[in-house]
Amino acid sequence: MHGLRQHAQTSRFVSRSTLRTLRGVSACQGRRYAGTTPTEAQEKPPPAGGELPSIATSKLLRVTRETALKSPGLMWTSEPESASPDGGRETRKMNMYQAVRDALGIALSTDESAVVFGEDVAFGGVFRCTMGLAQEYGKERVFNTPLTEQASTNGIAGFGIGLAAMGQTAIAEIQFSDYIFPAFDQLVNEAAKIRYRSGGQFNVGGLTVRTPCMSVGHGGLYHSQSPEGFFLGASGLKVVVPRSPIQAKGLLLASIRDPNPVIFMEPKILYRSSVEQVPISDYTLPLSKMETLVRGSDLTLLTWGTPLYTCEMAMSMLSSPPPSLQGEDFVPRDARKANIELIDLRTILPWDMEGVIESVNRTGRLVIVHEAGRTGGVGAEIAAEVQKRCFLKLAAPVKRVCGWDTPVGLQYEKFYIPDALRILDAMVETLKY
Amino acid sequence: MPNSASPVTTELHFFDAVSDKVIPAYRVLDGNGQIGEAFARKIYEKMSLLPALDNVLYNVQRQGKISFYMTTHGEEAAVIGSAAGLDDTDEVMGQYREMGVLLWRGFSLNAIMGQCLGNEEDSGTKGRQMPVHFGSPAHHFHTISSPLATQIPQAAGVGYALKRDPARRGKNCTMVYFGEGAASEGDFHAGMLLASVLGSPTVFFCRNNGFAISTPAAEQYAGDGIASRGPGYGVKTVRVDGNDALAVLAAVREARRYAIAESKPVLIEATTYRVGHHSTSDDSFAYRPRSEVENWKKTDNPLWRMRRFLEGRGWWDEAAEQEMKDRYKNEVLAAFRRGETLKRHPLGELFTDVYGGEMPWHLKEQRDELSALLKKYSNVWEPWKKELAKFQGNGKEML
Ligand SMILES: Cc1ncc(C[n+]2csc(CCOP(=O)(O)OP(=O)(O)O)c2C)c(N)n1
Repeated sequence: MHGLRQHAQTSRFVSRSTLRTLRGVSACQGRRYAGTTPTEAQEKPPPAGGELPSIATSKLLRVTRETALKSPGLMWTSEPESASPDGGRETRKMNMYQAVRDALGIALSTDESAVVFGEDVAFGGVFRCTMGLAQEYGKERVFNTPLTEQASTNGIAGFGIGLAAMGQTAIAEIQFSDYIFPAFDQLVNEAAKIRYRSGGQFNVGGLTVRTPCMSVGHGGLYHSQSPEGFFLGASGLKVVVPRSPIQAKGLLLASIRDPNPVIFMEPKILYRSSVEQVPISDYTLPLSKMETLVRGSDLTLLTWGTPLYTCEMAMSMLSSPPPSLQGEDFVPRDARKANIELIDLRTILPWDMEGVIESVNRTGRLVIVHEAGRTGGVGAEIAAEVQKRCFLKLAAPVKRVCGWDTPVGLQYEKFYIPDALRILDAMVETLKY
Repeated sequence: MPNSASPVTTELHFFDAVSDKVIPAYRVLDGNGQIGEAFARKIYEKMSLLPALDNVLYNVQRQGKISFYMTTHGEEAAVIGSAAGLDDTDEVMGQYREMGVLLWRGFSLNAIMGQCLGNEEDSGTKGRQMPVHFGSPAHHFHTISSPLATQIPQAAGVGYALKRDPARRGKNCTMVYFGEGAASEGDFHAGMLLASVLGSPTVFFCRNNGFAISTPAAEQYAGDGIASRGPGYGVKTVRVDGNDALAVLAAVREARRYAIAESKPVLIEATTYRVGHHSTSDDSFAYRPRSEVENWKKTDNPLWRMRRFLEGRGWWDEAAEQEMKDRYKNEVLAAFRRGETLKRHPLGELFTDVYGGEMPWHLKEQRDELSALLKKYSNVWEPWKKELAKFQGNGKEML
C-alpha cells in the first residue's frame, strides 16, 4: 500500500515491532511558552445573555476516560494492555498541542524513517506542538529549516516531497496556514500529481504537512485564514481538520500513515482551549469519514474545526433562546423544538459524501458553516453535490454561513467570522422556509 | 562583530567577487567621519525615540490594549542609520521592524498610535492589519505585509519603475529591508537576480540580527552570512557593522549613489543583534540565555556608541539626555492616551477596497446581508451592540 515507502522501510530501517519497544513518549513538559502568539487561543467569556457553552465547557469534548475510549471509529494500533473489556487503555488529560505532540512522538518512535521539521520546530514550535521532540529523538530527526516555505512550504514542501519520494516519512510544519501559499506549487503541482504522472511508480504518501489554521479573533489578514478550500481542486492530496485533542492525535497518526500526502490543518484557537482525556496508546481515527456529534431529524448543521463550538452554542440558543431573543421575530416557538443534527466533516478532501447525503436526506435541510469566504469555498462544493443528490428531499435551499469575500480585517473580525447569532439566524431562516 | 567572525575595516569597499577570506565589515564610528552636529544629533534622537515608543507599546500590549507589537531593541542604528542615508523620497519596502524609517521621515506619533490601535487615524490599513504594519505613500513607505520576503522581488520591480519614470529616474532608488531569516525564502533569490539582470536601482538591506524567532543565524545558513550571496548574482555587496549608525549611514549613502548612477542593485548586510523578544508572542529566554542578551546590551549597544560619539565632540551631555528622555516619555504617553480614545473606522470599511471601481454584486450582497442582520439584532443582542459602539458612528452607515 505504501509502495516505495514500505520497500524502504524493510530494506533500510529496523522493523516496526523493534521500534515499538523504543517508544515511551513522555508527557509534554518542559519550558512553558510565556507569551501568547497573536493567533493563539485567548478565550473570551461567553457572550452576555445566557449560560452558553464555550469551548472550555463544550459537551463535544470527551473529558472522561470512559467517553474517550468510546470515540467512534477509534482503531488501536497496539495490543491491548490488559484483558479487561476496554483493553486496560489509559488516558491522560491533554490539550490539542499536547495531543499533536503525543502523536508526533508516536510517529517518531514507531517509524525510524520519520522526521519532523519546519521553522522553529527544534525549540518546540511557536505553538508548542514539537516540545522536547528534538531532545528525545535527536536533531537529525527533529530540526529547524531555514525560513523557506517554498521548501517546506515550497522549500519545506519540496524537501518533504524529496524525503517522501524515497519512501520515508516526512512530517513538515508550516508555521501558519496563511504561509502555505509559497508551497502551493510544490503541493498542488508536485505532491498531488507525482503518483499520476509516474504511472503509479512514485508517490509521496509519506508526506504530511501540519499547519495551524483559522481565526482567533485578533489575527488580521495573515494569521486568520482557512485555506482548505484552495486545495479542493488538487485531488491526490488529502485535507484534514481536527476539532479536539482526541481527534487531532488519531487523525494525525492516520494522516501520517495514509498512503497519500495529507495537509493537516490544526485550528490554532483549539491548541490550548480544547482539553480532553486522550488515550495514550497508539490509535488512529478514519480519514474521509465525518462524525455525527449530535443526532437530529430536522436540520443538518455541517462544519469542521473551530466553528463546531460556535454551532454548539447556536444550537443551545435555538432550543432555549436567551431572554433578549425570545420574541417570535427572533426565535419562533416552533423552531425551538427543532432537532438539529451536528456533523463534523473532519476530512475536507476527499469528503464523506455518503455520510452527508444520508443525513440531509433524513433532515431535508442543510446549513454549512465555515470561516473561509463564501465564494469558491468548501461549502459551494458540498452544496452542489447535495442539491444534485437530495433535490427532491430538500425542504429549503442549502444555506452557507461563511466569512465574507474580503480579507480578514483585524478590527472587523467579530463581524467577519461566523458567530453563534449568525448561525442561529441561518437555522431559523432555513427551518421557517 | 555580531553573527560573524568578520574582521573590521574602515575602508569602504564594495566587492563583486568572494575571495577565500572572510568578508570584512566596514565601520566608521571610531574614525573621523565627516558629519554635522545637527544631523548627528538627529540620528541619535531618532534612534532614542525607538525605545521610547517600544517600551510603551510593548507594555500596553501586555495590558491587552493593542493586539500585538514588535520592538526594534538593539537594531536602532541599523534602522535609523540606513534611513538617514536615503533621500526621504526613496521608496521603502519594509519587513516590519523598520518603524524607525517612518520616524526619520517625520511620521507622527499620532499616526504610529493610530496604526497600532487600529483607530480612525490608521489611514495606512484602516484598522485591517495587525500593529506595526505601517504604510504611507506620503512617506514613500509601502504597506507592510506579514508574509515574509514578498517585498524583495517587489522592490526590484519598484526600482525598475523608478528607472522608467522620467521624473524620478536618476533621482531615487528603492530600499528593501529584510531579516537574515527572510533571506532564506525563494523570493530573496528571485529579487536579487531580477534586480541584477534587469538593472534595477535597488538597495537590498539585510538586518542580520542573529535570530528568526527562535532559529539562530547559524541554523539559517551555512555560508558566510548573506553578503556572500551578492557576488553570485553579480550584485555589489558590502557588510557593515549594523550597530555603528555612521557606518550604516555611509554604506547606504554610497550604495544609493551607485544604484542610481548605474541603475544597478547593491546588497548591504548589517550585522546586529535582536535584543528584544521576536514579538509580544515570543519569550526568547526559551531559546537563548538572558545573560547573552544582557551582555549584548552592555558590550555592543548602538545607542550608547552613538551617544559616546556625540559626547566626544561636545554635542551631547547628561542634561540633554535627561531632557530628551522626559520629553519623549510625555509625548509618547500623551499620543497613546489620545489614540486610545478614538474610535475605529466605520464598520462599512469591512467591505471596501477589495476591488477598485464599482463594488461587485457578491460583496454588495454580503454587505447587505450583514446590514440586515445588524438591523434585526443589534438593538437586542448585547455583544453586537457593544462591538458596534467601537466603530465611528456606531455602525450607523450599515443600519
Ligand atoms: C512566509 C512566512 N513564513 C513564516 C512567517 C512567520 N514569521 C514571522 S517573522 C518570522 C521570522 C523572521 O525572521 P527574520 O527575517 O530574521 O527577521 P527578524 O524578525 O529577525 O527581524 C517568521 C518565521 C511569516 N510571517 N511569513
